[in-house]
Amino acid sequence: MSWIAGDLNRAQLMGRLPAIGEHFQRLHASFYPLSQLPPETMELCRLRLAQLHRSDADFALAEYPVAAGKREQLQNWHSAAVFSAAERACLELAEVHAMDCGAITDALADAVKQHHGEAGLVALLQGLGVFDGFIRLGLIWQAAPAGGKQHG
Amino acid sequence: MASTARVSPPAGSTGNVIRDSALGIVPETLDHYLALNAAIWDAGPLSAAEVELARLRNARHTGCVMCQAVRYDVAIADGLTEDKVQVIRQDDPMAGLSERERLLVAFVDQYNLDPAGIPESLQQDLLEAFREDELLHLSLLVAWFNGSSRCAVALGGMPEAMPRLEISVPR
Repeated sequence: MSWIAGDLNRAQLMGRLPAIGEHFQRLHASFYPLSQLPPETMELCRLRLAQLHRSDADFALAEYPVAAGKREQLQNWHSAAVFSAAERACLELAEVHAMDCGAITDALADAVKQHHGEAGLVALLQGLGVFDGFIRLGLIWQAAPAGGKQHG
Repeated sequence: MASTARVSPPAGSTGNVIRDSALGIVPETLDHYLALNAAIWDAGPLSAAEVELARLRNARHTGCVMCQAVRYDVAIADGLTEDKVQVIRQDDPMAGLSERERLLVAFVDQYNLDPAGIPESLQQDLLEAFREDELLHLSLLVAWFNGSSRCAVALGGMPEAMPRLEISVPR
């Protein structure tokens, strides 16, 4: 139960200030249809952020379909064979981004660009910033997400 | 922190600082970015000076040199002084801040350092000092500026230091 406004979930809380909250929701949704980065990769990175923040509610969400094996083995993406080199590059950058965005190295950024180009790197960094924000909002508000919208 | 930009901005100039930045190479998100940024400044109940205080405190956490150098003209017009800005740049800013400003800073710090661990005492203090719509505005603006500031840092090209730079809200 959220300490701000009782028994409301994250989406409902955002809806209480629609002039801003609705723009935030639209921006969040805009990352999955992008051509610059595969939506499954975007979703894997969102899920990894949820794991790092220990947000079980955000990890339980499914914003875009992800192969069951990948979801189950996401914590071990370094060694699990189900992840492609391109996915590993994005997941590695997502992990460092979550801990300290200033610690992202040129090598980490170059690895993402090698697979997805400069636009792919920008799309990923934009998405990570917004996904991280949604997760943190849920945690600090103590409000669960409303349930994912399937973008795929 | 990378001082060399990792991404080239789009060719040409629109005169809009966001569209002409590296973000411009993903045009599909730009309208959403600009609309949200404008709404943060225009459509919430907090004053522009309070928005700017929260933004600058957040920039201190993310280490974004550019974000810390910028001052939005609407906040200056709203009465934000450079003395106040210097106060919130301290590790534990107390002197010179009102109770409401101190709580605003405490919320930004909690969001950055341990969002899941917000103490009940801070929750109560925030509920007493801010209305619900103000708390939602504060939360959403911190989430927005935190994410965009992290993106700016990660894109590289950040100088070691920058002089104070007064700008208008890009639209």
